[in-house]
Formats: sequence, C-alpha cells, structure tokens
Amino acid sequence: MAPAIAGPGGTEVEGAYGIDRADYTVDLDEVRQILSHFTYRDFQEAQELILSSLQEINEHFGWVSLPAADVVAEHFGTSASRIYGLLTFYADFRTEPRGKHFMLLCHGMACYVMGSQQLVQNLEDVWGITDGGTTADGELTVQVVNGCLGVCDRAPICKLDADFHGDLTVESLNDAIRGAIASRGSWRDAHHTPTGSNHGG
Amino acid sequence: MAARLDSHAAFTRFQSEVTQRWDDLWADDRLVVSVGVDSASVPKGALAVLAACREATRGSDAVVRQVSGTGAMWADTAVEIKRPGQPPILYGSIAPDDVPALLAGDLQARAIGVRGPEAFGDIRPLDEHPFFKHQLRIVMADTGIIDPESIEDAIARGAYSSLAKVLFEMSPEEAIAEVTAAGLRGRGGAGFPAGIKWESGRKARVHPKYVVVNSHEGEPNVYKDRRIHEGDPHKILEGMLISSVVCGAERAYNYIGGEYPLAIQRFRKAVADAERLGLIGDNILGSGKNVEVRVLTGGGAYICGEGSALMYSIMGLRGQPRTKPPRSVEEGLWKRPTILNNTETLANVPAIIDRGGEWFSQIGTSKSAGTKMMTVQGPLKQVGLVEVRMGITLRTLVEEVWGGMRDGHEFRGIQTGGVSAGPLTEQQLGYPVDFDSMTEIGGMLGSGGFVVFDQHVCPVDFARYLMAFNRVESCSKCVPCRLGNPALVEVIDRIRLGGGSREDLSLMERTSKHIIELSLCGLGQVAPMPLLGMMKMYPESFTDHIERHVCEAGVCQIGSPALLAAAAD
Repeated sequence: MAPAIAGPGGTEVEGAYGIDRADYTVDLDEVRQILSHFTYRDFQEAQELILSSLQEINEHFGWVSLPAADVVAEHFGTSASRIYGLLTFYADFRTEPRGKHFMLLCHGMACYVMGSQQLVQNLEDVWGITDGGTTADGELTVQVVNGCLGVCDRAPICKLDADFHGDLTVESLNDAIRGAIASRGSWRDAHHTPTGSNHGG
Repeated sequence: MAARLDSHAAFTRFQSEVTQRWDDLWADDRLVVSVGVDSASVPKGALAVLAACREATRGSDAVVRQVSGTGAMWADTAVEIKRPGQPPILYGSIAPDDVPALLAGDLQARAIGVRGPEAFGDIRPLDEHPFFKHQLRIVMADTGIIDPESIEDAIARGAYSSLAKVLFEMSPEEAIAEVTAAGLRGRGGAGFPAGIKWESGRKARVHPKYVVVNSHEGEPNVYKDRRIHEGDPHKILEGMLISSVVCGAERAYNYIGGEYPLAIQRFRKAVADAERLGLIGDNILGSGKNVEVRVLTGGGAYICGEGSALMYSIMGLRGQPRTKPPRSVEEGLWKRPTILNNTETLANVPAIIDRGGEWFSQIGTSKSAGTKMMTVQGPLKQVGLVEVRMGITLRTLVEEVWGGMRDGHEFRGIQTGGVSAGPLTEQQLGYPVDFDSMTEIGGMLGSGGFVVFDQHVCPVDFARYLMAFNRVESCSKCVPCRLGNPALVEVIDRIRLGGGSREDLSLMERTSKHIIELSLCGLGQVAPMPLLGMMKMYPESFTDHIERHVCEAGVCQIGSPALLAAAAD
C-alpha cells in the first residue's frame, strides 16, 4: 500500500507502515540545504544539474516526495510536472518512501545465469514484494537491478543496506533478510558519496 | 599538491619530480604493500584488508597504498607486496585475517605472479599466468599499479604527456591523423571510426562545440567502463582533453552511470586534481587553450546509453532518442556539434598520441585495430575483466583466460552483444573476436561483455529474460518498441509455460521484423535479436516446450494453469 502524499508545501505523509513516522517525512529545509550546493551560472547549467540534485535528494531520503519535487522545480526555475516526469522515467528514483531496509537485488546477466530468477520469485512468494515494492510491515524495500552491480564472480549477489551478500541461494537470501531485520541497522548505514555540483570535485 | 602549472616547462619539471619520487618508492629498501580496492573487491572486504595492512605495519617505514584491482575478480582481494631486495609479487584471495600471515611471508601459495619480467624463486612472472598471458594492456597499462586517486602516480607513469604533445608539438590535424591512422573504432558497440568522427567535429563551423563521453554502461552484461574510472581515471580524462583540444571544443562532459559511486568518486577526484594543476580550465599549461570538464551521472535508464537519449539526459530531460539525421556531430548537445565517444575509445587515445597511429594499427586485426576490454559472466573459474588484442578466439578467452567452466557446470553457450545480439555455441568458439567476424555468425562484439551459460539455463527462459529487459527498458517513445517487446514477452511466456503452438514461432519472427524495421533508435532496432538468436541456436528447446511440453533444463514451470492464466492477463 502506497502512503498518501500530502499536497504541495506540506511535508506530512500518512499511512506509515507501522514504523516511525519521522522516516516518511521529507524535511523541505533539508532539501533546500542540499539544493544550495547546486548553484548554476546560466540556464544550461541549471538544466544539467536537475538530475544530479534529484539523485542526491533520493539518496538522502530514500525517495523524492511531491513537495520535495516542488522545491526542486522552484530552485531550478522549472515546473513540478517536468520534475515528476523525470522521477517516473529514471529507474533509480523512488516516489514512495523506502522501508527500513533497502535491497538492491542484482538481476544482471551474470546473476540471471546463476539463478537470480528464483530469488526474484522468492521475494514475491516469501516476502510478498516485487521490484520497487515494500513489505507490508515496512521492513524491506527491494529494487531489482536491471544493470549490473559488477561483482559477477559472486553472482547471484545483492546489496542489503551496507552489506553485499554473494553466491546467493533462496535460503541464504532469506537468512540475510532476516539478519538485517533483526539487526539495528537500516539502509541509512550504506556508504554514500554525495554527488555535489557538476564542476569536477 | 604543487601549484598550478602554467607552462610546458613547468609541466615537464613537475613530471620529472613525481617520476623521481615514483622511482624512489620502488628502489628504496622498504616494504611496499598495494591493496586492490575497487567496486568488485570492496564487497569482499578490500577496505578491511587495507586497514589491516596499515595496522600491521604501523610504526614501521612500510608504505601501504591503495590501488585498484587488476581485473582478476576471481582473486579479490589482491595485494601486491614488494619486500626489500625482491620484485613486487601479487597475492590473491586475501581476507583481512590473512594479513599478518601474508606480511610474515607465510602465504606464498597464494602468489599469483611477479610484476616484472623474471621469476622469483618458484613464483612465475604475472605475464605467464593464463589470465594475464594473453593480455596486452593499453587502457589498463597502469590499472592496479597506480593509486587511482593520485595524479602524481599517474603523471609519473606518463599521464598528460600526450596532452602536452597535442598542445605544444602537434597541430590538431596531425593529432587527428594519428587517430585515423590508428584505425581506432568506437568501443561502445557500433565500431565507428573515431578519426572520422573527430574530423567531422573539427570541421563543424558552429560554436561552441562539445565533447561527450558515454560512460553510462547500462547493459546487464558488462562492467568495463566503470573499472577504467576506478583503475585509471586519468586515461579517460586525458582522452577527453585531447579530443576537446583537437576538435575545438571548450567543454567536455563525462556521463557516468549513477550506480557506480566509486567510479564517480575517483573520476571527480581526478578532475579536481587536474584542475588544481592547471591541466583543465582556462589557458591549460599556458597554451591558450581552454577546456572545462563537467561530470554528470545517469539515473538508471538503459536507453541513456543511446547517443541522443544521453544528451537529452544531460539537458535534464527524459532520455528518449530522437530521429537522425542530424547526427550529433552536426547537432547534438544544446543543438551544437557534439563529439560523442565511448569511455574506452577515449582511454586509448593518450597511447595513440604517444606511440603513434602506426604502432596501434599493427595490434589486433586489419579491420579491428588495437585491444579490447572484455568482461565475462557465468560459471567460469576466473571471472574478470581483461584487455586482449582484437582477433583472439572465443575459445582462448573461455578456456584459458577465464579458466574454463567451474566443476559441475557444462558449457552450453555464450551470449554476445548483451541484449542486442544472439548467443554462440561450442562450434563457434573458434571464431576471432572483433567487430566484423562476430556479426557474420549472428553474434556481436558490442561493448565486449560475454555471458557464458550452462545446462541449468533454458534458452527459452533466457530469451524471456532478455526480452523482458528490453520491455522494461524501452523508453516508450515509439510504438514498435513500446508495444512490440511486451507482445514478444507474452508469446514467449505462452511457450515457456507449455501453452505455445508452432504458429507462435512465426508470430515471433514477424513481430520481431516489425520491431527491427520500424523502431526509431538503434536499441529498438536490435531489441528482438536475442530472441531470434536463441531461436536460431536452440530450435529444439523451443519445439520441446511447444510439442513435448518439456523443459530440459527444468527451469520453466510447464503446464501450470495458474501461471498460464496469469500470463494471458
């Protein structure tokens, strides 16, 4: 069930999955803070920075809310619908919050030929989630990676919060998920390199 | 970090300083420990190995360095150790707990080889190891040797001297002539001659012009470009700068897939360092030439690897291709002439300028000059990234370089060209790998990603996987691709689940023909190729599913009424 998103200007999101509501709000002041690093000198540069800034916001909060998209539109002097069009086109962006734990399940060709189809199926059978979905209790969100995580010698592989799990079987995947849920961690533990502006460093 | 270098002489001076420091590092009687840290080794604990090495040598005069892996992913985490009076020796499969024993010299059995021409005791030179023996490293010449985050290391190994040559010793025409003479063809898949593209870019009269590097690499079968960024970002950056200078572009973009944080981080570091040294920006090395470099990241859309889609993405729009002409070299980014090259193509340029087009053209085959980076996936013993001469046979790659099949896995086929071509079988392994030979037999060199699969993979299911990828990744702009690919998946599903008929085979062929002939962009035009390839190579698998309701590999859930109903929805 997707949480309802409040109208433009609001930050409240209803319909939390049973975990802390604070996780589901996108603090617009923080969004503005992130955007303050994306300064531009002209129209072209503004356009070029939109996607990078959305990536940064998406990584920081785990998703981009509609009010946050509004703020981005305002910052770059464009329309909210344009921003939303980008959010729904590019696979990396989420328009719904992540659960407490976040898994990138690699489904590149290395993983496919080593059996990742069974893992995708298992997520649906055991955890009730498909690509992009979140478990009913809000514990786990999965994103199936169509590209390649690049650790092909340990295929099939996933990245769950900060940790990689390789040579996966259905059993070891389920164990890894249970382990993550039992731990005190969350997807926020994953290493993240800020994107910054587009001029070099 | 040195001050901004404002002349050719200042650069040469800096170069000799850092070269001296580099030589001293290796000549000294010190312990030098180099840990391979990249996006393949970090998941296996490379950072912990690096920390353990630092911890174990604390208080000594040992130097512990970060390098990137050598491409031998099967040997991650690899650590190179140079002991006083010994050559550098590369050890493989090192876990953090192994470090004390490794440093004590108790893990000689894990030695892969000596970096250098001569054996040390019974440890052979690295170049004699099957994984490295067939390699010729041009793009990867310094990968695994330099610290990718140290511009000094890179310059000590020759980086930016080709840029200096182009700025001060050659005319742009001469530089382009070298690239043309080299016979360098685009490494992204199309194989278009880079020299011709640069020539058109240089001749374009509209200003400003742009150089764009396609480092998107969104295919599910390849991981080479991100490893160049992680191993030696300066090769790419120098290639970009040379291309910009000779084509008359004052701004260059590198569009990197957003999924590769380490690649992005290391490339940004390279750009920042090069800016500080005056190798980027206004009046580069006092030459009067200006080039600004911008780094942009993709958002996980496969289609953004297509040239025009990539440019729309840079412009902050949905990455959807447009009809051509005009070609991007006439009208590309911001409607200006744009010279678009693949990462690997540009990373070859510094060596071509340095050693000449003639030298490069002698490597590989007559129509596909040079080397090619190739990656493999699947149940092989030595999975990894290699750089080999064009024209090597698939058999050499599979059986020697990549070590052959793992125990319990039987070779069934090798998927080529990612999601844009078909598989090849055992009988075709003798074919040379280059741009043209592969296409003749229904495969494709593409970006050099090969996927070996075994008896556990069902060709029908594999075709479904490949077509489902194309279905999801279709940008939805044109109808044949948007509707054709889902239609193909639907028919494959029918067959896969035991509800197919013989007519479905011709239906798939007809539908494929429409997609191929009518799609707008290059990706749509090849989308059905994997399916057609699977049908051609494994016709018996398709007829088994249709007529005998049997999936030999035991993958497809044939005859499940619930699944059939779901598929029909």
